[in-house]
Amino acid sequence: MSPAAGAGYGRALSELTGADAASFGGKSAALGELLTAGMRVPPGFALSREAFTLARDEGAMPAVVREQIALHYAALEQQTGTREPPVAVRSSAVGEDSATATFAGQQQTLLWVRGVDAICDAVQICWDSLFSAEAVAYRRHLADTDDPAMGVAIQLMVDAAVSGVLFTCNPLSGDPSMVAINASWGLGLAVVGGEVTPDDYLISKVTGELVRERVGTKTLQYVPDPAGSGVKRSAVPEDRAAARCLDDDALAALLDVARATERHFGCRQDVEWAIARSGSPPENVFVVQSRPVTTAATPAPAAPVSAISLVMAKFGAKP
Amino acid sequence: MATTAAAPSAFPSPFSIETPAGCEGWEEMYPYYAVFDERRRDTDENRFWFWNSMHFPFPVPAFDVLCIDSPYQAVGSWQNRVFAVPPAMGIDYRIVNGYVYISGNPVTDPAKISERAEFFQARAGHYYANWSELYAMWRAKMEALIAELGDLKVPELPEYEPDEVAFGEDRNTAFYEVLTAYGRALRLGDLMWQNHFEFLLLGYGAYGTFAELCKTHLPDIPDQHIAQMVAGIDVLLFKPDAELRRLAGLALQMGVDAAFASGRTPAEIDAELEQSEAGRSWLAELEKVKDPWFNMATGDGLYHYYRSWLDDPRIPYASLTGHIDALRQGASVERPTAELARERERLAQEYGALLDPGTRQAFDELLALSRTVFPYVEEHKFYCDYWFLTRWWNKVREFGELLKLHGFLDDAEDIFQLTRHEVATALDELVLTWATGGVALGPKHWPPIVEVRKQLLQRMAEWTPPPALGTTPEVVTDPMTIMLWGVTTERVREWAGQEEGGLVLRGAAASPGLVEGIARVISSVDEITEVQDGEILVCGSTSPAWAPIFPKLRATVTDVGGVMSHAAIVAREYRLPAVVGTGRATAVIRTGQTIRVDGASGVVTVLEP
Repeated sequence: MSPAAGAGYGRALSELTGADAASFGGKSAALGELLTAGMRVPPGFALSREAFTLARDEGAMPAVVREQIALHYAALEQQTGTREPPVAVRSSAVGEDSATATFAGQQQTLLWVRGVDAICDAVQICWDSLFSAEAVAYRRHLADTDDPAMGVAIQLMVDAAVSGVLFTCNPLSGDPSMVAINASWGLGLAVVGGEVTPDDYLISKVTGELVRERVGTKTLQYVPDPAGSGVKRSAVPEDRAAARCLDDDALAALLDVARATERHFGCRQDVEWAIARSGSPPENVFVVQSRPVTTAATPAPAAPVSAISLVMAKFGAKP
Repeated sequence: MATTAAAPSAFPSPFSIETPAGCEGWEEMYPYYAVFDERRRDTDENRFWFWNSMHFPFPVPAFDVLCIDSPYQAVGSWQNRVFAVPPAMGIDYRIVNGYVYISGNPVTDPAKISERAEFFQARAGHYYANWSELYAMWRAKMEALIAELGDLKVPELPEYEPDEVAFGEDRNTAFYEVLTAYGRALRLGDLMWQNHFEFLLLGYGAYGTFAELCKTHLPDIPDQHIAQMVAGIDVLLFKPDAELRRLAGLALQMGVDAAFASGRTPAEIDAELEQSEAGRSWLAELEKVKDPWFNMATGDGLYHYYRSWLDDPRIPYASLTGHIDALRQGASVERPTAELARERERLAQEYGALLDPGTRQAFDELLALSRTVFPYVEEHKFYCDYWFLTRWWNKVREFGELLKLHGFLDDAEDIFQLTRHEVATALDELVLTWATGGVALGPKHWPPIVEVRKQLLQRMAEWTPPPALGTTPEVVTDPMTIMLWGVTTERVREWAGQEEGGLVLRGAAASPGLVEGIARVISSVDEITEVQDGEILVCGSTSPAWAPIFPKLRATVTDVGGVMSHAAIVAREYRLPAVVGTGRATAVIRTGQTIRVDGASGVVTVLEP
């Protein structure tokens, strides 16, 4: 079968747009959008819901899908000049990452996967996760679909010195003029999994100044398994655990990421990011995922009243 | 004796404060109504009083009590009797061991509140609607008042009245002229205070409303950004320093900068400049800017000893020296006004764009109103607290000279140890005995009183007043207390928490930045020139007049003040970390200690006990 015939099953992330969300899932489509917008996103490819459906119908990994995986992975090998470069395999459920429900953490993520066979196994795990008890229960509560389907994003790994999550608002107060950043050592698992108390930074989106900072205790980190594939958890030395893990340059680069992402999507974003061990900000700062913020408080819009009546009210003279 | 059981409070009862040793009899130099009196215990003990250390960081000399009475007469008149602010009448004050405590009088009756609301809407509405015209009239009024003060002559008491009195028509004798001049001097002071408060409340109110809107919809917005969006760029208060910067550049151009060697007094610098043609031309340039720009005060103006730059040129000369040093090192000393103006607009645009359309409209309107009222908020200080008041104290000094001349005082400066009523009495006796040719008792009567009071002031200065007295309020609602002093419910809780002592002080985050350094605690304006490079200034409150020394500092910490104060804005422009309104930094921190100042969170930590 020619590669073109399989394009309905697999596509480079850089070729996806928001319109592809219905087929490739929200996560892959968002990464495609970010790449098109010129953001620094690790390259990769995506599998469509059609690939999932075909596999479900065949009961095993279809040859045409495996061919697509091999084809796109070879392109990544060529692009990086590395044999079997490590990738992250993440589910990109259709209906996931919508503005009302995140499905956050309900789906699978496999890190530091190497080689076509291992990728195929990881994809199968993602597909199976759609029927995990948690995912079924979550869908029953928050998503209205009887016909769940699943895309998969396969993305080059960033060997992260530091990683974390940022919100393009303060998720606690709802302040849209702030960027809230959580950061910890190593790969992002420790932060998203809530396994460490990350550094917590609040930066003004308007002036870039650090408004609040709380350095966390980051006692553990996830790093690539020295055996070559997968990741392992390791302890962080005490002095490093309590050390600030982002410097001013990194914070400035993340602020730019926050501004650009929010501008591109036109709404508040929740962004997972990673800073590579090699290079320096902003070149080594990558976005690995972005989705709309669903949980932040939003101050009630003011009823249009005149300034004078507000001043009068301040003095206790309510009109 | 009527007594009421004191409610449990974090603060001491005002009736439990003991007189420090050596301060016995302090009440005698203050009005009978200005102290906590058993006859008023029922009401006074159950109120919340806070130390107004922003305006009165030190014990108040007897004459300076006019600067308590008159302001509170004026602020209450406008707030309570003219604008009828619905929930708040005026502000009461009491003196304890020389220190001024204040407390607002609330209006609680809902019917009264709505009755007042009608007055307020009509009258305040008129001011807001016609602000710029009314403010132009106000400036003219102040300039006329300052001119009248300058023209007011303190008459001499001649051995023989001049011929005009005998031969002219409608001539008055000196006894009448002296008493009239003194009375007029007092009334001019009252007029200034009346003017001072005409717009203040409404100005702060408009600004406060804008700030509240920002904080509701942008909960984490730094207070400084709100101030930055509103504050004027090219305002009067920056002029004096701008002139000094210009003169510093001129000194270099004219090659006379060597005169400003460090360690020299202004007189020594002037003496060297007088030696050369260029030096004399530079001094002539300096002379041109002195009126009005050297009418800055060396402190916040409410004490007679805050002289103007004209009287005490140490601050402007220190600033000139600093600017000249910076210029020699190739730094620019120009205030980047265009850049500041651009940043001000950018902030307003960007914050506005984050709001929903309804809020955006209110934001834009309130910002416009705040900018309209803010020139007054900033400039009244120059007209009233600095320009008028420093000259007014000097006018009082002229009466001091008269009393000294006739032996009633050893030193003209001693007049400030008498109350304004005692001065009237002394002048009465002076003109009486001048007229009769009899023997005056004054020379025996007043000097011992002056001596006692000087001692009392010294001893009282060693006492540390608690930040508050009386009942801890559940919430602070008085708009003036909140707007002018930054005394909020939260601040009162923090003060209450600090009563136990401790090495961490919390205040308002006025200008961001985290620094550690050596503290310099300033309790008198005379000490301001002792501040060394790289020290952290700890004081009752900072005055914008101190801005010229800001470049020397690493940070500032004050007992009282809000983030909208001008000093906070200036600190921000100098990128000087600042924490204001800590309640008692000057009491807890000692000169020489290492402290950490976090201007972003408002926390001050004493690192070295």
